[in-house]
Amino acid sequence: MTHTAQQTVRVGLEQGLHMVPCSLIVRTAERFPCEIQIQKADRSANAKTMLDLLTLSAENGSVLVLEARGAEAGEAVQALARLFESNFVDPVSGSRPATPSDR
Amino acid sequence: MQIKRGIAVSPGVVTGEVLVLGTEDFRIPNRFVSIDAVESELARFRHTLEIVWDEIKENEQLAREQLGDQFGAIFGAHLQMARDPKLIAEIEGLISEKSLSPEYASSRVLRRFARELQNLGNQYHAERAVDIFDLEKRILRHLLGERREELVHLTAPVIVLAHNLTPSETASLDRQFVLGFATEVGGHTSHTAILAGALEIPAVVGLGHCLADVSGGEMVIIDGNHGEVILDPDEATLAKYQVMEERVHSVSQRLASLKTLPAETLDGETITLLGNIEFPEEAKVCHNRGARGIGLYRTEFLYLEQNRIPSEEDHYEAYCKVIAADPDHPVTIRTLDIGADKVPETIGDLAPDVVNPQLGLRSLRLSLRNIPLFKIQLRAIARAAVHGDVRVMFPLVSNLLELRQARMILGDVMDDLEEQKVPFRRDVPVGIMVEVPAAVMLAEEFAREVDFFSIGTNDLIQYTLAVDRADPSVADLYRSGDPSILRLIRAVISAAAKHDVAVTVCGQMSSDPVFIPLLVGMGIRQFSSTPHAIPELKEVVRHLTIQQAELIAEHAQSLDLARDVENYLRGELNRICPDLLL
Repeated sequence: MTHTAQQTVRVGLEQGLHMVPCSLIVRTAERFPCEIQIQKADRSANAKTMLDLLTLSAENGSVLVLEARGAEAGEAVQALARLFESNFVDPVSGSRPATPSDR
Repeated sequence: MQIKRGIAVSPGVVTGEVLVLGTEDFRIPNRFVSIDAVESELARFRHTLEIVWDEIKENEQLAREQLGDQFGAIFGAHLQMARDPKLIAEIEGLISEKSLSPEYASSRVLRRFARELQNLGNQYHAERAVDIFDLEKRILRHLLGERREELVHLTAPVIVLAHNLTPSETASLDRQFVLGFATEVGGHTSHTAILAGALEIPAVVGLGHCLADVSGGEMVIIDGNHGEVILDPDEATLAKYQVMEERVHSVSQRLASLKTLPAETLDGETITLLGNIEFPEEAKVCHNRGARGIGLYRTEFLYLEQNRIPSEEDHYEAYCKVIAADPDHPVTIRTLDIGADKVPETIGDLAPDVVNPQLGLRSLRLSLRNIPLFKIQLRAIARAAVHGDVRVMFPLVSNLLELRQARMILGDVMDDLEEQKVPFRRDVPVGIMVEVPAAVMLAEEFAREVDFFSIGTNDLIQYTLAVDRADPSVADLYRSGDPSILRLIRAVISAAAKHDVAVTVCGQMSSDPVFIPLLVGMGIRQFSSTPHAIPELKEVVRHLTIQQAELIAEHAQSLDLARDVENYLRGELNRICPDLLL
C-alpha cells in the first residue's frame, strides 16, 4: 500500500531558498525512504537533490507544495514543514543559516 | 633561437631541456575513453568523488570549529551539492553510455547546471554558479591530480615553462630535477616569485605569450640575473652561457666560504643578518647561509599550502620546526598577512573581492575581524615560544588601537592557555611591521608600546609613493631610493632610538647590497633578507667601516632624486666591493 502526504508551506527567508536552506532540506529528506517532491507553480523538484532545489528558484514569499509518496510519507512531510515553520534554524547547531550577506 | 624578456625574480643561470605545463589551469586531456576502460574510469570517478566529499567535510568541520556554524553550513551545502544523486547519475551516465572521460563528463554536467542557474534571472542564483564552478574545480583537481603530478615525479632534470605556477606548485617543485622555471604571467612580488627566490632556483616571470612557440624537449636557457629566457639557443649562445654559469658558480662558492666568518664591519661593529622565510624548511637554509636567526617568518604559507584552514597544531608544528632548525637564535613570527594578491581559496570568503584590495580588508585588519581564526595562530605562537626565542609581529598596523586590540587578544589567549594548564611563554616580545606611512608619523607613540620595529619596505614604498608594484604600467615609479623613503626610515630610526626599541629592515630593500652601506650609515644594525642574499650582504658589511657608511648616508640623503640616490649608492658599492656585481 502506498502512502501519500501533502502540505503547503510558504518561504519566509529574505534571500529565498538559498544554498544553505536547500542543503537542510536535502539532509532532512534523506532520512526518509519515501519519494519527496517540492512543487512551485508548474515546476517540481526532488527534495533529495540540491541542484533541483536550487533551480526551483523559490523566492521569499513563494508558496510551495510538499508532496511525499511511499513509506513514512506523513512523517517526511511533517519534518520538512517544521523546517519551513522554524525558518530553517539549523537543527544540528541551533544557529540560523548563513545568508549570502554573511559571506 | 629566440630571446624572451621577462622579470628576473630569482638569480642564476641554467641550461636544460624544457617541460611545458598547459596554459589552462585544468586542461582536459581526453574527451573520450575507450570502451573497455569505462569500468575503470567509473571506478576512478567514484573514488575521486569520495576524496572530494572528505575534503569538503574536513573544510566544514574546521570552518564550524574555527569560524562558527554559519560558515560551516556553507561547506555543508557544498557537500550536499557534491552528493547530489541526480548530478552523479548524469555524470556516470555520460561515462558509461557515451564513453566520455570523467573529466569531460563532470565538467559538461556541472557547467550545464551552472548555466541553468545563471538563466533563472535572479541575482542570487546567478551567483551560485560560482559555487558550482568551485565544485567543478575541486573534482577536476582530483581527477587530474595524478597527471599534474608529473611535476612532482620527475626523473630527469628539466626547466619548467608554464603559463602560471600556483604558490603551492612552486613550493612543491623538486629542486633536484627542476633546474629553473619561467612563466608567462606574474610580477616581481607575486608569491610565486618570492618562493622561487626562497627555493634558490633561477626564475623569470612575466614573459608574455611564449608557450605556443615551444612543444617541450627543446633546449632552453634561463638567465635569472637579466630576466631572459632563450629558446632553442645556438652554439655560440650556449657557449657564452656556459662560461657565465661557471662564473656565477664560483662567486657563490666564494660567498659560501664566508659562512663561518662574523658579519662585522672593518672597524668591529657587528651587524645582525637574519633570514626571511616562507616555509619551515627554509630555516635550515638560513642557518647554513650564516643567518643569526629568522627576522621575518611569513606564515601565510600555512594557509596557502593546504586547501583548508590550518589548525592550531599545524601552526605549532611549523613553528617548532623553525625553532628547532636554529634553537639559539630568535625567530620573529609575523601573524597572517593575507589580502590583496594572495587570498587562498579556503578563506577567500573572509576577504571578498573589492575594488582596491591593497587598501582593503587585509592583514591584521582581517585578523581583528576574525578573532577565532586569529586566536588559533596566537595560541600556537605562545605555545611554541616555550622552545626558543620567539617574537610575535603584527603586520600592516596603521593606528594604535589596532596594536592595542591585537595585544589584548594575545593576552586573552595567554589567559586561556594558563587556565587550561597548557605550557606557554607569557613574556613573548611584541613588535610591529612599520609599513604604513601613518605608523611612521606616529612612530614615537608606537615605540612606547612595542618591543621592536621591523620596517617593511615593500609596502612602505608602495603606500608612500602610491605605486602598485604589481602594475607594470607604473612599476618604474616604484623606487626604493626615493628621498621620501629615506626620510621615513630616518624618522623610524630616531623614534626607536629615543625609546630604546630595536629596528630591523626587512623587505626587498634589505636584500639588495646596494642599500646596505646607506642603511648602516643611517643607524640600522639588523637586516632581515632572503636567505640567498645573506652571504652577499655579509661580504658588503665586511668591507665597510661605520664612518664610511655614515658619510655615504649623509650624501645620499642630500640628493633629491631617487635616480641620483640609487646611482650614487651603486657607484659606492662598486668602490667598496668591486667583485660583487656581476
